[in-house]
Amino acid sequence: MTHHRSTLSSLTALPTVSLLALLAAHGSAWSNEAGVPGGQITWGVTTEPACFNPHRSSQQNAFLVIRNYIDSLVGKRSDGVFVPWLAKSWSVSGNGKEYTFQLRDDVRFHDGERFNAEAVKANFDFIRNPKSSAAAASFLEYYLRTEVLGPYTAKVVLSQPDSAFLESVSSVKLGFLSPKTLAAEADLCSGGPGLVGTGPFIFEQYQRGQSVSFRKNPAYQWAPGFAQHTGPAYLDRVTYRFLPEYAVRTGALSSGQVDLIEGVQPTDISAFKDVPGFKLLTGPSSQTSFTLNINYRRGVATDIRVRRALRDGFDVDALVKSIYLGTVPRAWSNIGPDNSGYNPRLAGTWGHRVAEANKLLDDAGWTGRDAQGYRTKDGKRLSIEVGYPQPYVRDNRDLLIQGIQAALRKNIGLDLNLRIVSNGEWTKSLTDASWSIYPNTLNPADAALELRDVLGDTGFLYTKTVPDGGKADTELTGLINEARLQSDLKKRQVLLDKIQQIAVDRAYIVPLFAPHYVVAAKRQVEGISFEAQLDSPSNSHDLWLRK
Amino acid sequence: MNTLPDASVPATAGLGASRFSAASLLRTLARWPWGAVLAAVFIAVLACITAFPQSLSSDDPLSGDITQGLVPPGAEHWFGTDQLGRDVFTRVLYGARYSLLIGLAAMAISVSAGVLLGVASGLGGRWRDEGITRLFDVLSAFPAVLLALLVVTFLGPGLFNIALAIGIAGIPKFGRVVRSQTLLVRRADYVTHAVIYGRSRLDTLLRHLLPNVLVAVPVIATINVGSAIIAVSGLSFLGLGPQPPTPEWGVMLAEGRGILRVAWWAGMFPGLAITSSVLAFSVLGQHLQRSFEGRL
Amino acid sequence: MQSPHPVLKAALLRLGSALLVMWLAASATIVALHALPGRIQDILAGDLELPGLKEAISAEWGLDRSLPEQYLDFIVRTAHGDFGSSYVMRQPVSSIIGSQVLPTVTLALLAGALATLIALTLATLTAGRPGPARRLAATLELGSASVPVFWLGILLLMAFSFRLPWFPVSGDEGWRALVLPTLTLALPTAGILAQVLREAMEKTLEQPFVTTVRARGLGELALRLRHVLRHALLPAVTLGGWLVGSLMGGAVITEKVFGRPGLGTVTLNAVLSQDVPVVLAVVLLAAFVYVLVSTALDLLYLAIDPRLQTP
Repeated sequence: MTHHRSTLSSLTALPTVSLLALLAAHGSAWSNEAGVPGGQITWGVTTEPACFNPHRSSQQNAFLVIRNYIDSLVGKRSDGVFVPWLAKSWSVSGNGKEYTFQLRDDVRFHDGERFNAEAVKANFDFIRNPKSSAAAASFLEYYLRTEVLGPYTAKVVLSQPDSAFLESVSSVKLGFLSPKTLAAEADLCSGGPGLVGTGPFIFEQYQRGQSVSFRKNPAYQWAPGFAQHTGPAYLDRVTYRFLPEYAVRTGALSSGQVDLIEGVQPTDISAFKDVPGFKLLTGPSSQTSFTLNINYRRGVATDIRVRRALRDGFDVDALVKSIYLGTVPRAWSNIGPDNSGYNPRLAGTWGHRVAEANKLLDDAGWTGRDAQGYRTKDGKRLSIEVGYPQPYVRDNRDLLIQGIQAALRKNIGLDLNLRIVSNGEWTKSLTDASWSIYPNTLNPADAALELRDVLGDTGFLYTKTVPDGGKADTELTGLINEARLQSDLKKRQVLLDKIQQIAVDRAYIVPLFAPHYVVAAKRQVEGISFEAQLDSPSNSHDLWLRK
Repeated sequence: MNTLPDASVPATAGLGASRFSAASLLRTLARWPWGAVLAAVFIAVLACITAFPQSLSSDDPLSGDITQGLVPPGAEHWFGTDQLGRDVFTRVLYGARYSLLIGLAAMAISVSAGVLLGVASGLGGRWRDEGITRLFDVLSAFPAVLLALLVVTFLGPGLFNIALAIGIAGIPKFGRVVRSQTLLVRRADYVTHAVIYGRSRLDTLLRHLLPNVLVAVPVIATINVGSAIIAVSGLSFLGLGPQPPTPEWGVMLAEGRGILRVAWWAGMFPGLAITSSVLAFSVLGQHLQRSFEGRL
Repeated sequence: MQSPHPVLKAALLRLGSALLVMWLAASATIVALHALPGRIQDILAGDLELPGLKEAISAEWGLDRSLPEQYLDFIVRTAHGDFGSSYVMRQPVSSIIGSQVLPTVTLALLAGALATLIALTLATLTAGRPGPARRLAATLELGSASVPVFWLGILLLMAFSFRLPWFPVSGDEGWRALVLPTLTLALPTAGILAQVLREAMEKTLEQPFVTTVRARGLGELALRLRHVLRHALLPAVTLGGWLVGSLMGGAVITEKVFGRPGLGTVTLNAVLSQDVPVVLAVVLLAAFVYVLVSTALDLLYLAIDPRLQTP
């Protein structure tokens, strides 16, 4: 699988990147066919966004809805190149701490206000302000201020070089709301026409529990460089219906109630693949793979032998192949195989060594057995809990963990206690560091950021110390902090590779599989694509209906 | 949801002494209609399965051959397999203990609390009686499922909590009947005689009052075990019950629902198990009620 | 002074009793809330870690005031229909409920009507007539009363959505989406209703006046419809409250099976995320409706039962 590296190195070195970027953008923008304007479509989607405000949302499945009305400064193409969007061009200072963006001058918010450097400043300042409780603030970790050099020139000043900055700026989470909206300080999570962005669609109506609909923004001329056409959206209206259940979504598409759906379970693929009247599209692997994160500072997991036994005590391949019917590959790292930061040399280096796993546990003293066949030591059962927060359960991942649970019991006598917990319990277990295994994929971001998030001492998993627990792995966290600061991409990749290798080797993580989106649609729907940075289907800007 | 309305057992039923013995039991059984016999046999089988599920299947309900996922019913897997390759027949067998035992536990909570409160109410003074009756009214003002949901919100999901929730919801059913029985029996001649003869209150209570008050209870309990089972599996279906991979019938139905298109057996057999169990208890209960009333 | 009309007196007693029950229910929930371990602000805030949230909750619920004040405040607010805000959904509870109540009510009303119709038909046609029809009806009723609502829904889905694509698998677009959920919700209830109705009818058919009416030459069906039904309905009317309660509980499950939006879905999500204000509000509302319906039906019963009229 090829992986694509972003051309940040050239951007850092050369201030005159605008020409390159423009050429690159034009190279990808033309589609094969001209779309037909008019009509409306209905999507069936899995998740009703808990929050429609891009700055506050961290729900992966909400992004494909939010992207309809939110644009970003730059876009990321599928080959990793950053292309112009609301910013025509940009340059980075020699020391890597100042990013100057030349903005387009024809962009307007849905309420008619101009999008300009002041708007950029207002948004970034707002996000960075701790009072705003914006999840996106983690992208602005080194943000100092935005200087308005001209009406359409904005210079962002950082406290230190940030190799992840362009990627962050291409994310929907750093997208732009009208400054008036920000100033109103209303709780924008609940959506509604007060949520004013610049995107190809305007927020029309939200019916809780049912659907959200958007209407076309006729003034839209500032599509990103990776879009299939410039100019306004083809569709007059698009509706996203919330259908949380697989079977329900499949049935809705089969019966024609919706025009396309995202999230098709493997057993339903046969309903659409090669079936007349329908089409099936598979997106790229997500930026992070579905991984079990083990809290190595707590409980039985402090013993590296136990962690390694868990990692190697079951056949990942067989499980993934069986549950997902061969539609997704197993993972070797928590960074996804299509991510430019992926360490390909990890492939084949671990997993499914049951005999060794058993030996490790014997060595660690877990030699007793109880009535159900689990290992015991000093009368205590070898048990680790997986607390899987209910709102994030999707895609048969709980079934996968059940499969692991059964295999571990049979193979090595380890009790992997799966519990579906409420969001409240999960948050609590984070704050008192009582979580033991957390299964997840991450929101798309730069690879260094992602590794920092789940393994670093300033990420969200390991910030709190465990009372009576083990210490953090300073070698690992040191590497992570170093990677975060390293602007030279080649050197950075060496660090990222090492981080992943340590994490897997010391069994802090057990990567499982590399998920991807599957979209099924009626045959007449054209223009379906996937947004690279977002790990999700694109918004409805390029969609059109063939008559 | 199919929780039954309060069963109407005649107030004077069961007054007077009655004796059981093994021989009379068998004789009674022989005179039963075939439906009730079938139900009784089925319940007996269920009891065996609950206690010894391994007697009918040697497979492991918690794990299976992952490469044999979603196999249709056939010679090797009578009820087919689920997505993880687990044998559905084995899981249905092991699932009996959850639905049944928890249903019975909920019933036990309803019965014990209901009887206690009902007797206290029937024997108590005016205010105590009024107070407890109002408590019954409050409890029955909430639809059972919603009351259970409220309890689970506070206590969190889990088998014990849903048993508690359903148990609480079922208190008025027993409480009211026991109360009216108590009110009647309290004035019965033999009780008055016992009091006149100087028997202690406790003695009177245990020897005369309770046996006659409680006679109606087993009948109502049998009739309502069915709705308790449905309530337990219903709450589990909604995701409030035991955690995976517990082979509880409601959980199995919830899991099977997503793959109905390709695997009808996952949604069929657990439901069949629930329905048959409930049917058996209902038929038995109805028969007991009829013969109970017939004894008047 | 004349003694008040007995029906009026009974009515007032009923009303008073109903209000008492509502008040007790509200009190019970407040007591339960306070009896729980942990601070109430933490329970109500759930998982959200927003700054100032717990203070806002504390202010809204008056948690820094004395318990009697809190209690009074809660009762007053509830009586006005103000159930506070859901912090999980960031909206006032009343608006959440208001926006979701219609699909549930539609489903419940339709299912109730269908169940009643089925029960009436079965009971009227088969009561007191020994023979295969009655046995079949009795078996069907027993069967449908034993079938769990969620399984029935799944079976109907398998048959009429997957095998025969007559009805949509989910949602609430158009009348077609209502058919299967209504059937699912109605059938088990119909079974129980029919059993009760039939027993009531059979008891009535044993009354002497029936022989008289038959002797006058009235046809069997007309007899049942015009005379027997009226008498049999009396005890069945008191079941109305139970019917409403059963429908409400069943709606939660039916909405889950068919992926229908509505109050049941909202409630279930609230329970799973421990969103206490929403669950409290829904349950109290359900109790209110139940008590209202029961009381109204009891009054109706008192009003139409000729035996209870004044001489």
